[in-house]
Amino acid sequence: MASSSYSNPPCAACKCLRRKCLPDCIFAPYFPPEEPQKFINVHKIFGASNVSKLLNDVAPHQREDAVNSLAYEAEARVKDPVYGCVGAISVLQRQVMRLQKELDATNADIVRYAYNEMPQPPPAAASHYGRRSTAGHAGSFDQNSGFCYPSQWNNNDPSGDNESGSL
Amino acid sequence: MTLKGGATSACAACKYQRRKCIPECLLAPYFPADQTKVFQNAHKLFGVSNIVKILKSLDPSQHAEAMRSIKYQANVRDRFPVYGCLGVIRHLYYQIQLLEEEFHAVLTQLEMYRQHHHQQQQQQQISSMADDVISQLELGMAPPTNALPLFNQMTQPYAMQNSYSSYMDSPKDSVENNSLWIQHLFLDTNNHTTSNNDSPIAIQSQLLLPNSEPLADAQDYDEIHPFFDSIDDRQSYIESKDAYDSTSSEESLKDATESMVENVADNELKSAAACFSLTSVN
Repeated sequence: MASSSYSNPPCAACKCLRRKCLPDCIFAPYFPPEEPQKFINVHKIFGASNVSKLLNDVAPHQREDAVNSLAYEAEARVKDPVYGCVGAISVLQRQVMRLQKELDATNADIVRYAYNEMPQPPPAAASHYGRRSTAGHAGSFDQNSGFCYPSQWNNNDPSGDNESGSL
Repeated sequence: MTLKGGATSACAACKYQRRKCIPECLLAPYFPADQTKVFQNAHKLFGVSNIVKILKSLDPSQHAEAMRSIKYQANVRDRFPVYGCLGVIRHLYYQIQLLEEEFHAVLTQLEMYRQHHHQQQQQQQISSMADDVISQLELGMAPPTNALPLFNQMTQPYAMQNSYSSYMDSPKDSVENNSLWIQHLFLDTNNHTTSNNDSPIAIQSQLLLPNSEPLADAQDYDEIHPFFDSIDDRQSYIESKDAYDSTSSEESLKDATESMVENVADNELKSAAACFSLTSVN
């Protein structure tokens, strides 16, 4: 089958899959031939058929974002086969909790100063973590906006997930 | 397909694939039969073959954690089909940025409260010390009638003693305040964060610098205050300095003042009183 000189060069997906890149190829807009590794990673982790189904389930104007997020997750999984991008989520969640606790502790000190009390240095650093804080609650970050992100990855739940999709 | 003979039912993966769930099934421990939705999410994103491929590339001790992350990632993708885990990561970065900004603002506010509190304490101590000195003078030291204006005029030659009194205050307060910041610094160093100019570690290390200056100056007090050599006050100063470290600052300053008053000559007494009547606020 001779390729027409007027046809577009095959996208990275069709090049990798060794097939003809049709004009209505769903991958072509998002996997340019200049970025072959992007599709290689995505295909290795998720598979081309799964990606195709996922893109078909998403609105056309959101497909580029979906592909970029899949590419990010695939690259993370290639680099870290055990945790993938979830490792970064774990680190960031811990950082958020730590910052929230420090913020609570500092606010408590301000309240004491406001009432003309000298804050007593705690006997150990652990005493700061004994304060009541708002951190550590699953999905509590965006309650005001009504958009609740998944619960803490750090909750050790070796028994597995429930069907609601949260840990 | 359930097995005959009362054997355990097939896992969700084998049930979905309508195949016999063998005892060596890799996915059986992680997809129990009652979690079909979880398996469907994982299958939709990764596919069974890809999951098995990932597990086979890992050590068996890592299988549990890998499957946990795979299920988490699949569930997040099910809830957020466009952005998936990347959306969660971006949101967490945004949360961290907000928290750091808020933390920085709160630290600034706390510093203002601390300075205000410190100034109030200094003023209270100086006024009480001035009252003590004046009462001592009235008890028979025969001061001149214009003694008080003299105290107020003697500012410049005794700037060092004036600053000396503030140094007497500052080490104790600085130690207390440094311990507060060091607590925060300790909390930060326990949990290492990525380097960032706006990180709490950077913020708190900057806040430590102003507190260190009074400490450094207080160590040089022997060199810049020959006045106290002449009155043989070093011993009483050292005793009073120990008192500052152990007791409340107000009481120890009062005791130190009394001991100093007993050891000085009249004109030197006036100088010392002038020193304590003046407030040096940095």
